Amino acid sequence: MAAMTGAGRRWLTRLGSVGPTFVVLLCAFFFIAPLLSMARFALQTVPVVKLGWSTLFDKWSLAPLVQAFDEPQFRSSLWLSVRLGLGTVLLTLALLVPTAVWVNLRLPRLRPVIEFITVMPYVIPAIALVAGIKVVQPHARWFLDSKMSLIPFYVVLALPFTYRSIDAGLRAIDLRTLVDASRSLGAGWGTTLFRVLLPNLRTAIISASFLIFAIVLGEFTMANVLVRMTLPVFMLQYQGSKAQAGTGLALMAMFATIVLFVVVSRVTRPRSERRSATSLSTAAATGDDE
Amino acid sequence: MTGLVRSGLRGRADVGAAPAVHRERSAWVDWMGVAPFFAFLALFLLVPAVSVFLQALRHEDGSYGLTAFREAFSGQNRSAFWFSIRFSALAALVGVAFGTPLAYAAASLQRPRWLRSVISSFSGVAANFGGVPLAFAFLTLLGRQGVLTKILSNVGLDLYQSGFGFDTIRGLVTVYAYFNIPLMVLVTLPAVDGLKRSWREANANLGGTTWTYWRRVGLPVLTPSLLGGFLLLFANSFSAYATARALTDSSMIVSLRLGFFLGGDVKVGEDAVGYSLAAWMIVIMGAVMALYWPLRRRAERWQR
Repeated sequence: MAAMTGAGRRWLTRLGSVGPTFVVLLCAFFFIAPLLSMARFALQTVPVVKLGWSTLFDKWSLAPLVQAFDEPQFRSSLWLSVRLGLGTVLLTLALLVPTAVWVNLRLPRLRPVIEFITVMPYVIPAIALVAGIKVVQPHARWFLDSKMSLIPFYVVLALPFTYRSIDAGLRAIDLRTLVDASRSLGAGWGTTLFRVLLPNLRTAIISASFLIFAIVLGEFTMANVLVRMTLPVFMLQYQGSKAQAGTGLALMAMFATIVLFVVVSRVTRPRSERRSATSLSTAAATGDDE
Repeated sequence: MTGLVRSGLRGRADVGAAPAVHRERSAWVDWMGVAPFFAFLALFLLVPAVSVFLQALRHEDGSYGLTAFREAFSGQNRSAFWFSIRFSALAALVGVAFGTPLAYAAASLQRPRWLRSVISSFSGVAANFGGVPLAFAFLTLLGRQGVLTKILSNVGLDLYQSGFGFDTIRGLVTVYAYFNIPLMVLVTLPAVDGLKRSWREANANLGGTTWTYWRRVGLPVLTPSLLGGFLLLFANSFSAYATARALTDSSMIVSLRLGFFLGGDVKVGEDAVGYSLAAWMIVIMGAVMALYWPLRRRAERWQR
């Protein structure tokens, strides 16, 4: 690149240091602005038309946040979402932990196949999967008409995230030695799984559980098409009639999602990074006992 | 590729470790251990997926054929697919264009030391933000009564006069950027971290400039990650339903069109045509993921 002039080269170097800063600032604005305007809309009862410097600090109130809590339908939809979330967590763990242990122990050559299968839910997105459920529904009403029938499909939707995180947890421990030691001391498979492996997989299991819970609490597509009144479905309907309180509810939901994901990222952070963090919340969240 | 090689080696070592007598007798027991997992997926993933295709190929008179499949890609349906593919490609492009420099900044900017952890933690959260609450947030910002809409109109720029709307490509790309950019950061951050400092030094020692470094080393190493990221973002935007549904009622978005058909709100032709929409979606997503898979393997090569 001898043809490049000195000025051009200097410009490029300058771009190398100023460019990233500029992108960071631009993105910071883009990511913060919607959250701020959402919070303003939910918490300040001043129409946008009248908004200006003089009215900027008028009529702020936390009341719209909890207004939705008085709706009976809010409570039932939250309860439904929580039950679906818990059910999905339990079913996922019951299905994936033994499978992942087994694959790592006995069928390691199957690993690439399983890895490939677990990304299949990307190929068949929620809206296409629910189309399939609609086809099957008339033939299996006894199951598919019940509210809890969403659970196995949510297990499938979360699969790309959950299998990987459990598998990563398994690879981080010396699985074979643990199992051999436990078995040679006379423990059965059940004891080995519950008293040896699960405690060692604590971190992976906790983070996978929070992840699943967050995904299910926010899942809208399947619940909407199958007309199940889960939290996000209620939220959309409620916002249509009460815009401010609905947005307040969405703000709370967003906050809850952030909390869940922050817990996940704290729990799964590599040890070296974790040790350098000194905040109390980190220690509490990870339950680090070393 | 490294992954394949590594798992191959590992497999051999494991077989060697198992007692030889034990092996043949337990071969079928080994397979029984993964049977519940496969049975579960067959029931709750394979059956619905296959039924979509069967329903798409079945005419009202009970015969099978490709008519509906073709019809789902013509007329209104065709324009919906075309619109969705265009906005998804653009949304993916925007995600790559901003996500990559952001990942590079997170990896290279030294000054605020917390920057990297903020960017990567925030990306982990925001990549999963898509959905109803995100749509509400943008409605309060860029809706007809949005704050930014008002600020812009005060400086003489009327968004909605200029053709903006959440059912337009511009509107959808803007909102989808909110989860596409963070997803791109998550995808490229390991790749950017994989750029070794020594490569840069070697380049400088051999008389290369910043330009030569990027042209000959940086970009070629990053290319599989960038292409893979683009495909992932495309798939992510193309299949998104919740965000779009809370933003607009436009039946030009294929996922919404399919949703309206399933809810009985929109007539797309006979039933088979509706299910063909779903079948086409699966075909397109399958093609995208088939391209993505080898790229991902290739991208992992430098990330050790």
